[in-house]
Amino acid sequence: MIEVLAGISFAYPWLLAALALLPVLIWLLRVTPPAPKQQAFPAVRLLFGLEQREESSARTPWWLLLLRMVAAACVILGLARPVLDSGRSLAGSGPLLVVFDDGWASGPEWEARTGALEAALGEAERAGRAVALLTTTPSAQAAPPAVTAVMPAADLRERVAALRPLPWAPDRAAAARALALAGLSEASVLWIADGLAHGEAEGEREFAARLATLGPVTVVAPSAPAPALLAPRSDPGGITARVAAVPAATERRLAVLARTADQRSLARVEIVIPAGAGDAEAEIMLPPEQRNALAALVLEDVASAGAVVLLDERWRRRPVGLIAGAPEGADQPLLGELYYLDRALAPLAELRRGTVRDLLAREIAAIVLADVDTLTPTDLAALSRWVEQGGVLIRFAGPRTAARPDELLPVRLRAGDRQLGGALSWQQPASLAPFPEDSPFAGLAVPDDVHITRQVLAEPALDLSRKTWAKLVDGTPLVTGERRGRGAIVLFHVTANTDWSNLPLSGLFVAMLERLIRLGVGVAAAGDAVLPPLETLDGFGRLGPPPPLASGLAAAAIATTVPSPRHPPGFYGTEAGRAALNLGATLERLAPLPLPAGASVRRLGDTPLARDLRPWLLSTALVLLSLDLLLALWLRGLWRAPVPVRTAPLAAIALLLFATGAPASAQVDPMRAALEPRLAYVVTGSPEVDRVSRAGLIGLTDFVNRRTATNLAEPMGVRPGLDELSFFPLLYWPITSDQPPPDERAIEALNGFMRDGGIIVLDTRDAGLGRGMNAGASAALQRLTRGLAIPELHPVPADHVLTRAFYLLSDFPGRYVGGQTWVQRHEDRANDSVSPVVIGANDWAAAWAVDEAGRNPYATMPGGARQRLLAYRFGVNLVMYALTGNYKGDQVHVPIILERLGQ
Amino acid sequence: MRHREAPAASARRAEQLAARLPPLLVAAERVAATVAQGVHGRRRVGQGDSFWQFRPFLAGDPVSRIDWRQSAKSDRTFVRETEWEAAQSVWLWRDASAGMRWRSSPRLPEKAERAELLLLALASLLLRGGERVALLGLGMRPVSGRAMIELLAQAVARRGDAGSVSALPPLAPLPAHARVVLIGDFLSPLADVQAAIGRLAAIPVRGHLLQVLDPAEEALPFRGRVRFEGLAREGAALIGKVEGIRSDYQARLAAHQDGLKAIAAAAGWSFATHRTDHTPEAALMGLYLALAPDRLRGRAA
Repeated sequence: MIEVLAGISFAYPWLLAALALLPVLIWLLRVTPPAPKQQAFPAVRLLFGLEQREESSARTPWWLLLLRMVAAACVILGLARPVLDSGRSLAGSGPLLVVFDDGWASGPEWEARTGALEAALGEAERAGRAVALLTTTPSAQAAPPAVTAVMPAADLRERVAALRPLPWAPDRAAAARALALAGLSEASVLWIADGLAHGEAEGEREFAARLATLGPVTVVAPSAPAPALLAPRSDPGGITARVAAVPAATERRLAVLARTADQRSLARVEIVIPAGAGDAEAEIMLPPEQRNALAALVLEDVASAGAVVLLDERWRRRPVGLIAGAPEGADQPLLGELYYLDRALAPLAELRRGTVRDLLAREIAAIVLADVDTLTPTDLAALSRWVEQGGVLIRFAGPRTAARPDELLPVRLRAGDRQLGGALSWQQPASLAPFPEDSPFAGLAVPDDVHITRQVLAEPALDLSRKTWAKLVDGTPLVTGERRGRGAIVLFHVTANTDWSNLPLSGLFVAMLERLIRLGVGVAAAGDAVLPPLETLDGFGRLGPPPPLASGLAAAAIATTVPSPRHPPGFYGTEAGRAALNLGATLERLAPLPLPAGASVRRLGDTPLARDLRPWLLSTALVLLSLDLLLALWLRGLWRAPVPVRTAPLAAIALLLFATGAPASAQVDPMRAALEPRLAYVVTGSPEVDRVSRAGLIGLTDFVNRRTATNLAEPMGVRPGLDELSFFPLLYWPITSDQPPPDERAIEALNGFMRDGGIIVLDTRDAGLGRGMNAGASAALQRLTRGLAIPELHPVPADHVLTRAFYLLSDFPGRYVGGQTWVQRHEDRANDSVSPVVIGANDWAAAWAVDEAGRNPYATMPGGARQRLLAYRFGVNLVMYALTGNYKGDQVHVPIILERLGQ
Repeated sequence: MRHREAPAASARRAEQLAARLPPLLVAAERVAATVAQGVHGRRRVGQGDSFWQFRPFLAGDPVSRIDWRQSAKSDRTFVRETEWEAAQSVWLWRDASAGMRWRSSPRLPEKAERAELLLLALASLLLRGGERVALLGLGMRPVSGRAMIELLAQAVARRGDAGSVSALPPLAPLPAHARVVLIGDFLSPLADVQAAIGRLAAIPVRGHLLQVLDPAEEALPFRGRVRFEGLAREGAALIGKVEGIRSDYQARLAAHQDGLKAIAAAAGWSFATHRTDHTPEAALMGLYLALAPDRLRGRAA
């Protein structure tokens, strides 16, 4: 007890006099009774007059008193600022020179370093010794290391507080020169070192020798100097991370994290540096799309600029250009020519679109032409020049190429194409043969479910078999290719979509494209352009805005530049094309620090630091006073356990269920929705309306399944924006006046749904009468459809496909009759002339609705079985319209055709 | 905005009330059914429609009362008697003031809830017995028929603002010799209670007082320094040590109850107490027996 007390000194001992006030406090607390409990009581009248009887018990309980006394004592002691001191650890007397390494290797254990520095300053202050400080790293202002004037320790604290680890290496040779200039003598030296030799061995030795001449030297060094991450190697399968460390007697285990730009870790590999070894490496295996997303490799739990390697284009995917023969429908989901290419290549490569000229204007590794027959002679010349230089041209056949082949093909094509396994053919669709040995595809597994139904044929030639990179089981070439110069031209004899084969649906397609893209030379390095600093690392290895002094760097020099105040490690260039300057790229191996002769060495963190007890005491007082508050409330009966214990777990479970269940309930299971076609309705949030919608679509589905060849599954309720809509041909959306308008994501989803050929049936359910039936529906319709790409509308004309898609109808009754039904005015060729919206008011769902017993629970108005039958027939027409588009549109012309035939 | 919200708010309130009604009614019916099993209608000769008995013709009976068809079956002459169905009007009242809206523990019902339950159960019993029932102070006419219990339940549910309701029964124009049942805590000063009862007794009507108390009001189970506050702005009492005055309080309460009993006795009324932690059936039985004294007393004798 005495020893512990002996170690405590107070900064403001006179505050302890306040302890004398404690007895006064006790007396004050004892004479003030605690506040009474409040209690409502109806029979209070009977208590009047009894108040004065006994007022004796109103004393603060002794334990509460004790609690308050302890809290008050803690406050007084804490304000007196006691320090638990470690005693004297500084050698010698006279001025103290503190040498502080603040280079990249000081980032880890920075707290311990500054702690040791603070402790030394505190001790010097108590011992009355003056201090000078030397930081060995060039400052962020590019000033070389310099020794400060000898000053009282307190004056130095500001400078110490401003110290930060710097993301480049210390310059000890310059520090030695600074020591020579400072002219200190008869000083004791404390060197808080990072434990690494950074520059030439000679400069390091000179610095150590010069320190030893000043006086007794104490070196505080970390037990294990910071490891560094060297420049990683890019391998086909992944990235190999390399770690360097000072050889140690025991093995070291480190972990490397592969991080994306938004700081997510995609992979973590452990690296073991064996005892006595200076480096080790490990491969990070990642799928290409994840590898492309990587922005940095980071040593886990090592906060320094040397523990971060930034990754740039050198470790990235290659750019690939896509050109379609018919650009207008090229991106249509599941049908477009570029749809599958886009899906297959997006993870592997950066995709670009444009004309041949646009694409060739920038570096590009490969260009894919999907059934393009519109190449101009200039394009052909440019492309062939680019191929000679190392580009890979991948072409897909198709009806256009078959009709008009050009010379930029590996083989000569025969005019026309051949069809296998059609309705009028005896042949079966052909499947793939194993790849030839010399083909770039050699070794890829051939799935047996790839079938080719149609293809273009090559003219027989002597070198055809040599140029055949993939063929069908009957020997017909499927992929032919030819190397030209440093590049290659490849032709797939099928289309890039599923018109001619199901190859694009296969995983083989992706693997083949991946192989082909790697055929090229790749992205050329940028020239001598000066890259401005974009984001730089600080001493803890965190990216941030570049410091003011950071200046641009020639692109060619980026691999050889050593990070310095003018070129801190980080990203240089522009957002689009960034180049990484890494500290690790210039390191090869790490050497231990040569120590000054006769120095005493302490391990960083070994020294017990002088510990300030004030925060502990004050927080104890705070806790005690909070407890006192609770007790006081409890004594007054104002506070009970906030939630009864029995219900608390239930509430927690309910909360948990709500938290996890609520978002889950919004999701339509995509696997279930995708397997069968089905109708869907928009969930409005009004249970009654949603029930009607569901019952209505069930009724309609039942009717459609009975009367037509369509086989629809049970309808689903969807929430646009939350659920994937692309599985549904038709979306029924009843309008309620209190529906919240769709948010941005929902609008995007609905617009995408309409663009890709879906139909939204909006039903205001007011028979066109407005207020009476469904008040506010038309206003709600305007509100809800704001932001949706609703085309120009007009009432359904008498010859619209909707009137004859299955049944011949003249009007479209639902539960009501007479509401006007609106469709798109101008027929849009893109989606088979199908109107993306049908807006009506007849409350169709209620007319279609069936209950569990198969009855129609909602009477039609004005009524009659005929009206309901017509409502169902309209529903069938709607479904047929959604599923078959303008297939029945030809019927419009039947009278004219008959007339002509008659003539 | 106010005028648009008002209907919605009142509709919501009505829904709450409606949601509250059936359980109360069900509870009241259940309590009433337990009691009704033991007591049946007044089976005695009197004014009414349903047949009761034939008795031999006695001199002095009006000739018109002879049942000729029965008399023709034998040599004697019979008179047809019907069951006495003279209905009685009973006026029920319960204290709906703020003081009743209190309970000492969440496990207990509020005094007002218990009072309403007893009132509706009693009303249900009386309606089953063919009596006419009305709520005192609402200006309603006595009603009869079992279906009317819902009307009463709705009237009870419209209890109004507890702060403005008096803790004592109002003076209402009652027919003479009606029956009155008053349910409340009767913690008002005895003089006020006496005045209120006296006004009713002067009509004259006969009545029954049922004092409903929370167990905490009887036992005063609090400890330490407590500031007691009335619920109807009676004021507050700061008690330094509740344990010390507990016996005094209980003595005062007993004196108050004696006073109530004396007031009731002076008016020729009956008085009973009920605690909310006891079953309502016992209290209901007591009330019901008090209302049908002549016959049941005779049976017990």
